Amino acid sequence: MELLRTTLLQLGDGFRFTLGIFAFTLLFSIPLGLLVCKGRMSKIKIVSLLCRLYISILRGTPLMLQLFLVYFGPYYLFKANTANVKIGPFDYRFIATIIAFSLNYAAYFAEIFRGGIQSMSQGQYEAATVLGFSRTQTYFKIILPQVTKRVLPSVSNEVITLVKDTSLAKVLSVAEMFTKASAAASSQVSVVPFIVAGAFYYFTNLLVEVIMNRIEKSMSYYS
Amino acid sequence: MSENNNDIVLEMTNIHKSFGKLEVLKGIDLKVTRGEVVAVIGPSGGGKSTLLRCATTLEKVDSGKIVIGGDVLCDTDESGRLSYCNKQLEKEIRSKFGLVFQNFNLFPHFSVRRNITEALIHVHKKSKEEADKICDGLLAKMDLEAKANEYPCNLSGGQQQRVSIARALATNPEIIFFDEPTSALDPELTKGVLTVIKELAKEKMTMVIVTHEMSFARDVADRIVFMDGGVIVEEGPAYELVTNPKQERTKTFLAGY
Repeated sequence: MELLRTTLLQLGDGFRFTLGIFAFTLLFSIPLGLLVCKGRMSKIKIVSLLCRLYISILRGTPLMLQLFLVYFGPYYLFKANTANVKIGPFDYRFIATIIAFSLNYAAYFAEIFRGGIQSMSQGQYEAATVLGFSRTQTYFKIILPQVTKRVLPSVSNEVITLVKDTSLAKVLSVAEMFTKASAAASSQVSVVPFIVAGAFYYFTNLLVEVIMNRIEKSMSYYS
Repeated sequence: MSENNNDIVLEMTNIHKSFGKLEVLKGIDLKVTRGEVVAVIGPSGGGKSTLLRCATTLEKVDSGKIVIGGDVLCDTDESGRLSYCNKQLEKEIRSKFGLVFQNFNLFPHFSVRRNITEALIHVHKKSKEEADKICDGLLAKMDLEAKANEYPCNLSGGQQQRVSIARALATNPEIIFFDEPTSALDPELTKGVLTVIKELAKEKMTMVIVTHEMSFARDVADRIVFMDGGVIVEEGPAYELVTNPKQERTKTFLAGY
């Protein structure tokens, strides 16, 4: 019993980092995804091409590799010393994780948003145009709210995947929950820490599901 | 009606428009005077909708001149160079006309009220109270007072189209364009929409209506324009054109109704 208690405390401590990676990644990747999506749909060929390339590479290579690249890249490429880089309480280990996760998830979000935007009928733009709405007004008042509703199920998918993907930060030895669970498992010679970690992930995602369902429901007043 | 310049609400001159190699409009001239109701009829692919879309800034013409409410939307000089007005004027011109779409194009995430008031408040900078007052008046006219807080998805097609007519009327335009306003509706619902348009005609609203409802065009329009193959084949007073067409092509087309 005592062992379970210490395990819970250890994992709980790591869970803060897990939540941190999760929250910061969402915070940065969604706006970045929107931006990449806009770029991908841009009429300017070079912008569109660069965004395509970005999406293709970030989706086409492992997140783990991207984590390594962001973390070790500055040193190997420029001999930059990242050991002293700190933003507030966050060391470069954590910052690199957030950067890699955000860049990676932005690529997926960009494609989800593009699907949503392209599913909008031309008539919505035309109605807004003849009513005199500016492009910005049309985008924020007419298009984006409807796109949000349409992409929500796909976004839920990504968010749930993200909760589980945070465990990849272990490869940079970020002290998140899975790192702690592995350490606890080998010191206790037991699978209990893994089972506890699994429960943490599962219940987090259960919460995510409930919240996303609530949001979906709040938008179901129209079809 | 005298034809001094103030009375001409829409003037389209020698309009040409192609999509790739397909020439859709081959030199159209159309003049609409204040209070006039013009019905545009003709087979599908004849250029009716494209003409309407050019007049409402949704398509750019290749050459020709369009004047709406005295403002020049676009013009072509002697060397054939087309020029459109600046964005500011274009915005002003857009406030002079309303457009009613075949498939309504209401904003599904807005209530009926917001569909009608949104542009009033955020484009025409009216107060919420003012906009609501205009909205209530229009909904009463459309027999939809009870539906102000409903969402479009809870309305019948006919009701949705009446909301979209109200939306087009809200900004008090000088002319309203209808692009096959009843083509997406069954006959029962069509009636309600046509009644509303008839009412507007009685109030001397200037209207251009692309339609396949021949008896409606005959009864409500002052003038009918028959388009086919990108040209105006024949035009004239509504009743006369329907009952006694001059051109062979018009006769064949009308025989189908």
